[in-house]
Amino acid sequence: MEQRSILLKRGLWGSSFILALVMFFSSTSFAQKTVQGKVTGQEGEALAGVSVAVKGTTKGTTTDGNGSYKLDVAESATLVFSYIGYTAKEVQVGNQSTLNVTLSTDNKILNEIVVVGYGSQVKKEVTGAVQTITSKEIKDIPVSQIAQKLQGQVAGVQINQTTGRPGQGMNVRIRGQLSVTAGSDPLYVIDGFPITGNIGAINPDEIEDISILKDAASTSLYGSRAANGVVLITTKRGKSGQTNVSLNVFTGTQVVPKKGRFEMMDAVEFAQFKKEYYEDQGSPVPVEFQNPSQYEGKNNDWYDALLRRAPVQSYNLTVTSNKDRVNTSVVAGVFNQQGVVLNTKYQRYSLRLNSEYKVSDKVTLGVNIAPNYVFDNTPRTDGDRGTGILFNAIHTWPVMPIRDEKGELTLFNRFPSSTGNIFAYPNWVRAAYELVNETRQVNLLSNAFVAYSPIKGLTFKSSMNVELLNQKFFFFNPSTATNAINTAIPVTANTIREYTDDLGWLNENLATYSKSFNNHNFELLAGYTNQSYRRETSRIQADTYADDRLPTIQGAININRGGTNSNVQEWRLTSLLSRLTYNYKGKYLFTASIRRDGSSRFGSNNRWGTFPSLSAGWVLSDEDFMKQYGVISFAKLRASIGVTGNNNIGNYTQYALINNTVNVAFGNNVAAGAVVSSLANSNLGWETTRQIDLGFDLGFLNDRFQFTYDYYLKNTTNLLYAVQIPQESGFGNFNDNIGEIKFWGHEFSLNSRIIDRKLKWNANANISFNRNKVIALAEGIDRVYGLHHITRVGYPFGQFYGHLANGVYKNAEDLKNSPVVPGRSTIGSIKLVDVNGDGVLTNGGDKDDRTILGNPFPKFTYGITTNLSYGNFDFSVVGSGSQGNQLWVRHLYSTANLDGVFNLHREVKYRWRSEANPGKGFYGTTVGGGTVTGIERDWQNSRFVADASFFTIKNITLGYTFNKPNKLFRSARLYASIQQAFVFTKYWGGSNPETSAQQNGAGDGGNLSPGVDLFNYPVPRTSTLGVNFNF
Amino acid sequence: MKKSIIFSIALSLGAFSCSDDFLTVVPETALSSATFFKTESDFIQAANGAYAPLRTLHNINSHYLAEQHSDNARYVRNILFGATENQSNLADFNVPTANGITTNSNVLTAYRQNYLIIARANQILALIDAATIPDATKKNVKGQALFLRALSYLELARYFNRAPLQLTPVSNRSEAAAPLAEASQLYDQIIKDATEAVGLLPAKSAQEAGRATSGAARALLANAYIIQKKWAEAETQLRAIVTSNEYSLMPTYADAFSTSTSNKNNKESVFEVQFLEGSQGLNGNFLYSMIPFPIAANELVTITGTTNPQPLSGEGNNIPTPDLIEAYEAGDARKDATIAYITLSGALHANKTFPYIKKYAKPHALHNNHGTNWPIYRYSEVLLFLAEALVEQNKLADALPFINQVRTRAGLPNATVGSQAAMRDLVYKERRVELAFESKRLHDLVRTGRLETVIKAYGDRVKANKARYYFPAEGFVPGDAFTNISPYYGLPAAEADLSPNF
Repeated sequence: MEQRSILLKRGLWGSSFILALVMFFSSTSFAQKTVQGKVTGQEGEALAGVSVAVKGTTKGTTTDGNGSYKLDVAESATLVFSYIGYTAKEVQVGNQSTLNVTLSTDNKILNEIVVVGYGSQVKKEVTGAVQTITSKEIKDIPVSQIAQKLQGQVAGVQINQTTGRPGQGMNVRIRGQLSVTAGSDPLYVIDGFPITGNIGAINPDEIEDISILKDAASTSLYGSRAANGVVLITTKRGKSGQTNVSLNVFTGTQVVPKKGRFEMMDAVEFAQFKKEYYEDQGSPVPVEFQNPSQYEGKNNDWYDALLRRAPVQSYNLTVTSNKDRVNTSVVAGVFNQQGVVLNTKYQRYSLRLNSEYKVSDKVTLGVNIAPNYVFDNTPRTDGDRGTGILFNAIHTWPVMPIRDEKGELTLFNRFPSSTGNIFAYPNWVRAAYELVNETRQVNLLSNAFVAYSPIKGLTFKSSMNVELLNQKFFFFNPSTATNAINTAIPVTANTIREYTDDLGWLNENLATYSKSFNNHNFELLAGYTNQSYRRETSRIQADTYADDRLPTIQGAININRGGTNSNVQEWRLTSLLSRLTYNYKGKYLFTASIRRDGSSRFGSNNRWGTFPSLSAGWVLSDEDFMKQYGVISFAKLRASIGVTGNNNIGNYTQYALINNTVNVAFGNNVAAGAVVSSLANSNLGWETTRQIDLGFDLGFLNDRFQFTYDYYLKNTTNLLYAVQIPQESGFGNFNDNIGEIKFWGHEFSLNSRIIDRKLKWNANANISFNRNKVIALAEGIDRVYGLHHITRVGYPFGQFYGHLANGVYKNAEDLKNSPVVPGRSTIGSIKLVDVNGDGVLTNGGDKDDRTILGNPFPKFTYGITTNLSYGNFDFSVVGSGSQGNQLWVRHLYSTANLDGVFNLHREVKYRWRSEANPGKGFYGTTVGGGTVTGIERDWQNSRFVADASFFTIKNITLGYTFNKPNKLFRSARLYASIQQAFVFTKYWGGSNPETSAQQNGAGDGGNLSPGVDLFNYPVPRTSTLGVNFNF
Repeated sequence: MKKSIIFSIALSLGAFSCSDDFLTVVPETALSSATFFKTESDFIQAANGAYAPLRTLHNINSHYLAEQHSDNARYVRNILFGATENQSNLADFNVPTANGITTNSNVLTAYRQNYLIIARANQILALIDAATIPDATKKNVKGQALFLRALSYLELARYFNRAPLQLTPVSNRSEAAAPLAEASQLYDQIIKDATEAVGLLPAKSAQEAGRATSGAARALLANAYIIQKKWAEAETQLRAIVTSNEYSLMPTYADAFSTSTSNKNNKESVFEVQFLEGSQGLNGNFLYSMIPFPIAANELVTITGTTNPQPLSGEGNNIPTPDLIEAYEAGDARKDATIAYITLSGALHANKTFPYIKKYAKPHALHNNHGTNWPIYRYSEVLLFLAEALVEQNKLADALPFINQVRTRAGLPNATVGSQAAMRDLVYKERRVELAFESKRLHDLVRTGRLETVIKAYGDRVKANKARYYFPAEGFVPGDAFTNISPYYGLPAAEADLSPNF
C-alpha cells in the first residue's frame, strides 16, 4: 500500500516528491541517530497511524500496522506522539535508540470536533443544542436503517419503529415537533447536501458520525426547512496517515416472539362463542357450532401461518486511506433481509466512494459518489381495516381451514349465511405468496467541490450536489388471491406499475474567513445556494387478465383509466446565508446567523422568508473562581433564540387548480369535464417556529461524568391548514397559514465512564420531557377532528376523543338509574358516562357526551446504553423507553365486534351474558344485534384506548477481540447480538407499542390522528453473529 | 482553479439575477384557473363538469331522501349490522333533528353535491359573457349552466325550504358563507334562471342527447310554478312542451327507462342523469341499493344478470311497501314493470320473499356497475303536471285527455271527468304509480300538503304489523319512529358548524 501510493505520487505529482526529498536531505546534515519503537495503548494494543513528529520541524513519520516506527533524529530532538482520541505525548530522545511509548486515551472529549451546519466547531465552543453520535457507538446494531440505530441514543429525539416492514417505518421526531398537515420529519443533510428523500436507503456502514441539531441557533442556517430539526450525516473519511481495510459481516435470524402477540380466540373458543351467541338470544344454534369440541385440534391460527423464522445477512467492506495528498474511502455493502412475514424481502447493494485531493496548499478538490440499489417486496402486509393481510388474518374465523384435505392452500372461505358469516375470507397465506408488491430503486447521491484558500483563514468553497432516484414499483394481484377482505376468489387480476424519476441538485457557494488576535476569535461565513428538485411519475393500472402467468400491460383486457396517470412535482429554492462566530479566549461565545430563503412553494406575495438566530455560551470552568471546585472539570452555560421554518406545504398548494378529469357521459359517449378544484392563495407561506433554548454542560472528575441539560420553548405559527369552509362555496377548504402550537420540554443526558481500568464500564442515559399545547387554530375554529382524535385550542394536540366507558348495565335497576341511549341501551350493554349531565347519552351534535380520553404522546421518553469491557471481551446493552403514551386499538372495532362477524379477541369470552354470569364487566351482551352492540362498537369510547408505555431492550451485544491473530489481519472481533431483545409493556392491542398509523398517510386521518394501531408488520427479535476484520 | 471559482460565482450571480423566474414553478400536470376559461372547449368542459355531481345525487341519494322517506319504500334491517341509522331513520321518520339541524349523512350529501353544481355553474356564468367564443356555444353553455343551477336550487328548496343563495364564484375564505335565503327568494331565482335557460337552450332535437334542452328547462320551470301553485304559468310552459312535438310516450311503460347500454334519452325522456357502465368511473350502482339483503350470488344474478355476481350482505334499502303495491289498479301494466319478487335463502325473516324495484333492474355485465340512466323528467310527468295544473284551474275536461294518455299506455281504461277533488286524487294516484321510485313521492306529499296525514296513517300501519313491513322477528320498530314527520329536512350539521349563518 505504502509503495503503491508513493508510485502514484511520483507519477502524478513528481514535483512535490522532489521537494520532500530535498527536505529529507537537508535535514540529514545534522548529527543523526536512528530511533525506533512501538506505540501502544493502555491495554498494550498496537496503535497504527500514530503521528510521530520531531518537535519544531516538519519532520516525522507515522506508525505502521504493528504500531512500530523508525526515524532518524538528532539526540537533542523531542518527539511528539499524537493520535486522535489520545493525549499527545512528548518524549526527549536523549541517548535512547528504542523508544516505546504508551498513549492514554484522551478523556477531554470536549476537544472533539463537532460537525455543525455549514462547518464544524470544537465541542467546547458549541453554543447550540447539538448532539453527536459516532459510528463506533452504534456499530453492532444489526439493522438496515440508521434511524433504528439511533433509537434511545439521543435526548429530545423520539424515534419509533411504527412497522417491522424491512427497510421501512422509522418515525423520527425532534423535540416533539408536529404540524396539522405539513410534514414533521427532520431535514437530513448528507455531507452538506440537504437531501429530499429519507435516509432509509442509506447503508449505515457508510456513516462516520451524525450530528443532531435541535435548537434554532443550530438549525436556522437551514432556514425554511429547519423547524423539524436537522440531522447532519458525515460519511467515512480516511484517518490521517493511515490505510485501513475492514470487513464487517453479520448473519442472523429473526422471529416474532409468541409473547406480546394480540390474543384471538382459537377454533374451539370461537365456536363456543358462536354457540353462546345464539343461545343467549334464544335462537337455534347453527349446526356448525352445536358442538365446539369438534374443532379440537383443528385450530387455524391465520396470523401465525403468515409468520416464519427469517434470515438476515450483511456484508460491508470498507477501505480508507489518507496519505499524502489523497484521502479516499470506499464502502461496499450488501444487505439481505428476508422478512418474518412470508415472502417479504429487502435487499440493498450499496457503494460509496469518497475522495479528496489536495491539489496544493490552497486548493482542494473532492468528489463523493454513492450509488445503491434497493429491492423490496412486501405483499401488502400493512394497511387499514380490511386491506392489510395481517389485519385481516386476525379477523378470519379460526374454524376456516388454511389448507384443504389435500394440504393445498384454500382459495377462500365462507360459511353459510345462517352462521352469521357476512364476509368472504380470502386465504391470506396464499395472498402472501402470490401477491407481488415490489419496489426497485436505484439511488445516486453525489457531491463534487472545490475549495480555495487564497490567504490564511479565508476559504471559498463551491460545490455541486446531485441526487438521482429511479424507482420501479410493480403490484400484481392474481385472480387466485387478494389482500382485501370480503372478496370471493377468483378476483379480477390486476396490476399497478409506477415509474419514478427524481433529479435533485444543489449548487452551494460558501466563503469562510476566520481570524484571531489578542484572544479574540472570529469566523465569518457567507453563502449563496440554489437547489432544485423534480420528480416525474407515471402510473399504469390494468386489470382483467386472461392468464395470471402474463401480467403484462398488453395482457390486460382493460386499462383502468382512474389509476393511470402521469405527474410532475417540482420545487426550487434560492438562499442567502451568513453566520458570525465570535469568542473571547474560548470562554465567552457568541454566534449570530441568518438565512433568507426564496421558495417556489410560497405564494407570489410571500416568496421570501428570513430566519435569524442568536446564541451565546459561557465556559464557566475556564474562570479562575471555578478552579476551587476541582471536582467540576467543565461547566458551560448556553442560551439561544431563533426562527426557523417548515416548507413541507406541498409544491403547488398556492395555486387554484383545474381538475380536468371530472368527466361525464352523454348517452354512451364520454365527454371531458373540467372543474376548479381548489382555491388559490398567493399569500401562502411556510410554517414559522420561534425557539428559545437554555442549557448547560457539566463535566465532573476530569469529565468522567458529563451531564447536559436543555430546556426549550417553541412556538409554531402559520400552520398550513386546509381550513374547512362552508361547502356552499363549492369548495371544502382553503389552504391557509393559521394557528399556533406551543412546545416545551426538558432534556437530560448523562455520559459516564464509571470504571476506567482494565475493566471498563461506560454508561449513558438520557430522558426527555416533551409537551405541546394548541394555542390557536383558525379564527372561529376551536377544534379539528382526526380519526379518533380531537385537536382543540387549550389542549395538547391530537388527543383521543370519544365516550368514557363505564362498564355495563348490571341489572334492571342499574339501567333505570343510569343514563342510557334511548331505545338502544339494554341490561348488559355498555354503559357510558353522561358527560354533559343531561341524563341521555348522545353521540355528536349539540348534546354530545364525548370528551378527551387519552394522549398519544408520552410523558417522557428515555434511553440507556451501557458498555462493559474486560480484556478482550466487550458487552453492551441499549434500551429505549417511553412512558405515559397511549394507543388507539383500532382493530378492536372489529376484533371485539360482539355480533360475531369476525374472529374475536380472547377477552370477549369474559363478556356479560346474564346477571348471574356478568363476566369481567368490560365487554357487553351480544343480544340485540347492531342496535345494542353497535354502541359499544361504533361509538368511539375509552375501551379503544390502551396504555402503550414501554421499555425495550433494543440491543444486547457480547464481543471478543483477537489482537493480531495472524499476518493477514491486524485484529478481528467476533460478536453475538440480539436486537429487539425484550419489550416490557402492558400494551395489549398488538405486539408493537411503538406503532402509529401516522406514517401511512392518506386514509388514516394524517397528522391529526397520531397513535393508532393498525396492526402493522411486527417488529422481529433478531439474533445475530458477526465478525469485524481489520486488515 | 481560479477560473472555475470565478465561473461558479458568475453562475451563481446569473442565477440570482433571475431568481423570480427560477422560483416560479407552475404545476405541469394540472391546469390552473389563471390559464383556464379561455377557449370554447374550456367552457364546454366546464359545463360538462357541472353535470358530474348529478350522478352522486341520483345514484344513491335522492331515492333514500324522497322515496325511502315516504310511504313507498322500506328499509330492511339486517340485525347483524349496526351503523345504518342514516338510512333506517329516513324510513322510520325519526331523523334526528334539533334546531333545524340534522346529522343525517344523506342530507349532507344532497346539500353539498347540489352546491357543487351551483359553484361550477357560477364559475361559468361569471366568465362566459366576456369570453370570445362562438355565439351558439356561448348561448348553449350558458343555458346549461343556468338550467343546472336552477335544478340544484329546486332540489335545495324542496329538501330544506331555505338555503344560502350563492350566485357568484367564491375566491377566498371570507366569501364562502352566504346568508340563508327564504323559499320565496330561492324560487324567484329558480324561475329567473330557468326562464333565461328556456330562451338560450336548443330544443331536444337540436341538442346533444343527454344535455339540458329548452324542453327540460320548461319542465323545471313548470315544476317550480306548480310548487308555488302558479297554475296558469305552469300550464303555459307545459303546453309548450306538448306542442313542441319533441316528445311522446314510449309504447310500453317498461321501455320508458333506459337499459344499461341502450334506450337512453328516448323520446319520452325530457331530462335524465347519464350513467355509463364500465371502468371510466361514470357508472351507477343504485340498483344494488334497492335489493333486499343478505342475498346469495345465485339469487342476485336473477336480478342483475351479471357474469360475476357476488353475494351481498348488510342492510336492504328501498324495498317497495305493501301500500304502494296496493295502490296499483287491477290490470295496471306498470305494476309488474315496477315491482317483482325474490326469495332469499339467507333472509332472517319468516317470510323470505321480498318485493324489489324492477324498473331499474336491467341486465348488465359488471357486478355493482351499470349504465342505466336515472329519470329526472319524463314526458308522462309533463302530461300529469299539465293535467294537475288544469285540474287546479278547474279545467277538468281539458285535463282528462292528458291523464288518459298516461292510463292508456299503462293498459288501463280511460278515466272519466269527476269532481275537482276526485280529479285531483286521480292525478295524485297516477303520479304515485307512474313515477314510483323516481324520487318524487316525498316532494308530492309535501307540496300538496298531504304529508302529515298520509305518513301518520302509514306509521300506524307499520307499528301495528311490523312483519308486513319487513322487520325480522328479532327486530323492533324504534320507539321514536314516526315522531319527526316534518315537510323539510334540517340543514346539515356539518355545514352548520362551518357557516356563521345557521
